[in-house]
Amino acid sequence: MVEGLKKRLEACGHAFFYTMLFCFGQTGAYLFLWPVIGSYILGSRRIHHLIMPYLNRRFPGQGWWQSRVAAFKIVHSFGKVLVDRAWLGLKQSAALTGVFVGEEKVCEVLNQGRGVVLLTAHVGNWQSALAHISRLPVKVYSLMQYEQEAVAKHYFDLGNETCPFHIIRSDGFLGGMVECTAALQRGEVVTIMGDRYAGGPHVTVDFLGSPVRLPVGAYSLAAATGAAVVVLFAAKTGKTGYELRVWDLFTIHHGDRDEKQAEMGRAAKRFVSCLERYLEQYPYQWYNFFDFWKQ
Amino acid sequence: MDISEKMDDLKTKLKEMVVHDLKLSELKPADIDDDAPLFEEGLGLDSLDAVELVVLIQKHFNVQIKDMEEGKKAFASINALAQYISDQLRSSGHELT
Repeated sequence: MVEGLKKRLEACGHAFFYTMLFCFGQTGAYLFLWPVIGSYILGSRRIHHLIMPYLNRRFPGQGWWQSRVAAFKIVHSFGKVLVDRAWLGLKQSAALTGVFVGEEKVCEVLNQGRGVVLLTAHVGNWQSALAHISRLPVKVYSLMQYEQEAVAKHYFDLGNETCPFHIIRSDGFLGGMVECTAALQRGEVVTIMGDRYAGGPHVTVDFLGSPVRLPVGAYSLAAATGAAVVVLFAAKTGKTGYELRVWDLFTIHHGDRDEKQAEMGRAAKRFVSCLERYLEQYPYQWYNFFDFWKQ
Repeated sequence: MDISEKMDDLKTKLKEMVVHDLKLSELKPADIDDDAPLFEEGLGLDSLDAVELVVLIQKHFNVQIKDMEEGKKAFASINALAQYISDQLRSSGHELT
């Protein structure tokens, strides 16, 4: 009953924003985000429970109002990302313009015939990031969970775009690792979200001052196949602008099984350090709406 | 060497590869049952070992396991893996040595 009502309210919300977009364009929909998100932030306790674990670590010592304002900024920036997605789907002429800082470094590795593990995270507009990588000279695969797959397909269906990557489902046999290995052996690209742990092999590293569990599949793939790990994050930089940036590029070698875990830990630390630097620059583009440190 | 001897030889090589290259120090090649599953309840290998196994099979036998369906079939047991490698070699015009 409650679930049904929630779904209907959600559908009404989507219909409302699509109407706003249709009538008033992207700017109009952005304006409507203010009262909607403002009342949500003031009226919902749940959203604070979901965002506070991050805010407490990113902005320690913030007061009640400051944390509300910060929560607003995060949800508002996420709302803009959702509006952009819908706007791209509704208007044929709509387009985001992005720069890919470090693209030449990725191409250099690919030109050597080596595969690339593109390690990204739930920050900025990651779908834009995936759309941009269609420019790379080889096939691109994305390791995704079922729900992410549905979202990504929906995003590209809306924009009448051909999906620029091939999806490998992480809920398949051995977590999709066989397909990922084969793609990297062929010198292709596999994108993986490095920040979401959903069970299986992991390491624990400090992130924003507290330990967090992170998956190690990406590092293991790179170590076994000789592929390079490229840490790549997207950020929304303006109304229609975004930036894709290579934050780090490294190779992983491990001799034996005992060394493996330590090497994975070192690689995860490099990833986390990139994420911390990203959040220094874009503190309100963090879209992990759950207690990240309890994953 | 007839075909069944070649298959036995291949299974022995695979067991040695699994134990030595995956560094399963607590196990001896002879302890591995030909029909035991390689993953989870069998030898207890995990998805990260699968990555290494795919690379090792390519390196030692020049056989690529490309997708989940092939992986499921090949990694069912040592018997299944030996059969898979032998079939792949035959279909590419090579013989078991």
